Amino acid sequence: MRTKPRFRALAPFMIFAVTMSAAIAIGMARPGFPQVKRADDSPQQLEEGNRLFHARCGYCHLAGGTGTIMLGRRLGKDRALLESRTDLTPEYVKKITRVGLNSMPPHTRIEVPDSELDLIAAYITRPASARVQLPPNRATHE
Amino acid sequence: MAMVLPPNVSEKNFQKALDAFAGVVGRQWVLSTEEDRNTYMDSYAPGDGDQHIPSAAVGPQSAEEVQAIVRIANEYKVPLWPISRGKNLGYGAAAPRMSGTVVLDLGRMKRILDVNERFGYCLIEPGVGFFDLFAYLQEHKIPLWMSVPANAWGSVVGNALERGYGYTPYGENTRNICGMEVVLPNGELVRTGTGAMSNSPCWQLFKYGFGPSWDQVFVQSNFGVVTKLGMWLMPEPEATLGLNIQLPNPDDVGWAIDELAPLRLNGVLQQSPSIGNSLRTAAAQSQRSQWYQGDGAMPDDVLREVLDKFHLGWWGINLRLYGYDDVNEAHAKLIKAAFAKHTQKEFEVVKWHRGDPIENSGAGVPSTTALQIINWRGGRGGHLGFSPVLPPTSEHVLKQFHSTKKRYEEIGVDYYGSFTLFERYTTNINMMIYDRDDTAMTTKVRSLFKVLVADAAKEGYSEYRTHLSDMDDVALTFDFNNHALLRLNETVKDALDPNGILAPGKQGIWPKAFRGVRA
Repeated sequence: MRTKPRFRALAPFMIFAVTMSAAIAIGMARPGFPQVKRADDSPQQLEEGNRLFHARCGYCHLAGGTGTIMLGRRLGKDRALLESRTDLTPEYVKKITRVGLNSMPPHTRIEVPDSELDLIAAYITRPASARVQLPPNRATHE
Repeated sequence: MAMVLPPNVSEKNFQKALDAFAGVVGRQWVLSTEEDRNTYMDSYAPGDGDQHIPSAAVGPQSAEEVQAIVRIANEYKVPLWPISRGKNLGYGAAAPRMSGTVVLDLGRMKRILDVNERFGYCLIEPGVGFFDLFAYLQEHKIPLWMSVPANAWGSVVGNALERGYGYTPYGENTRNICGMEVVLPNGELVRTGTGAMSNSPCWQLFKYGFGPSWDQVFVQSNFGVVTKLGMWLMPEPEATLGLNIQLPNPDDVGWAIDELAPLRLNGVLQQSPSIGNSLRTAAAQSQRSQWYQGDGAMPDDVLREVLDKFHLGWWGINLRLYGYDDVNEAHAKLIKAAFAKHTQKEFEVVKWHRGDPIENSGAGVPSTTALQIINWRGGRGGHLGFSPVLPPTSEHVLKQFHSTKKRYEEIGVDYYGSFTLFERYTTNINMMIYDRDDTAMTTKVRSLFKVLVADAAKEGYSEYRTHLSDMDDVALTFDFNNHALLRLNETVKDALDPNGILAPGKQGIWPKAFRGVRA
């Protein structure tokens, strides 16, 4: 009997996550972003949020995904990719996940349990210090 | 959405049932807040979907938990609506046929139990998504290919159980089913085929077992809850050869079907191509308001402008040959010769060899970008599918195409249709795309749907699958001997499920306890 593996395409993100963690550990800041430490921002939690974002939201919200295309049409290309957004709050991310928005259907608490959604929301709204340049040609799912 | 209790169940007993469910799965996995209920509504319903309101959801993690839940449901007469991942989009999504039904969400059961490279099969649970299985095969470098539907957000098991389609030679997904484990409405666990032997090495190899073969009895049915399913997977071929062509005129679909049907039947073409009108492509790449703001169906001259802009014909066809290079080349020659009798246009040829990137191979690679089409009208987009099955001849196809297009235009909906060709039939999948919050538009769509079902029934065409709201209408079109098939289905239903707790009304099959609910 085999257990379900983590996705192969996750590997680049693990490197990303390690880099990110290191950046946080040495207190690296980028100009233009406020440095605010929050409860959900431990490197391990952000790494898990990153993984869950790709697993649960990556179907539509990575580069080339249908959610990214729709957001690009509605808000412009610079606000199309959720991972790059800096204007979202955790509360907003969680609410939209549960109630849906335009063509995005709501997500049940079995598909994305509350505990996972907290981590995903924290990852999407992570502070500037935890953001690094996204690598090009990212995979479109976890 | 307001709380709706199951028919004939008191609030007190309903709460007792939920408490008992929580005793099995844990309180966390019984979802009964208003927000929870709303997440299980039909997310693409034309309108609010208020004919199909779930009362709660419960999420087991094992077949044993499913058995316990089914027994409790019998005790309290609480009906259950099993879903795999709830992505039956365009057909009702996760919502139940009968309001007040509790959704039995199998999404937590997502184990890939076995993948056998030598014989090309897997054994999986209902929560396994197309993305999950694809990633597993990639991760373990297993050279087996999946059959994947256009929108691959859903469950491999759920899609096969609803008779979904993919585009490879294994594209008739329900045909790949080999062996199931099923919880019956009384809570008993059975295995079908040779799985009924406790030690058979052939459960996923030999479909039929001994005596009646049950797998298809649990497909599009409410006779049991499938908790494990064997699926055949296609061995990776040495090479593929794609032939893509755009046909400029609406009537070209007639000769294309006449030329392709014999090649599909004799095996020159082993996959089931979809001949789609190019609004499909346009809707994925743009929104209607960019081209036309009128209320009625988009006029043909505007559509022509859209197609010219994207360099599309009226119909697009992507054929794919799978196997050995030399054989593919020989088969391509036959197909090209058949088309050359009717058009000067040349096929675009796409070649793939083992080791090249899988994206260009014609393998089933999961994606959700097909969902882009529901943004055609903007707003809270949704779609409904009307999908009659016809003989694959130009006479049937052209008549059905023109009569459907005329109905779309009369009622004022943009025509969006395709013909998927199998060995001995073609499925005419027509989409109606709308903004859910535009009442005038959704009213039109509902009336168009009713008219199309009636038109098709007059020609003797059935639907291969339909939305919750139309299951009764479609079931009633099977009218031989005063609906003898429906009587058979309901006789079996009452025998297996005397309390009627499993998916009442699915596919028009109502148990005795809820037969009065049928409209």
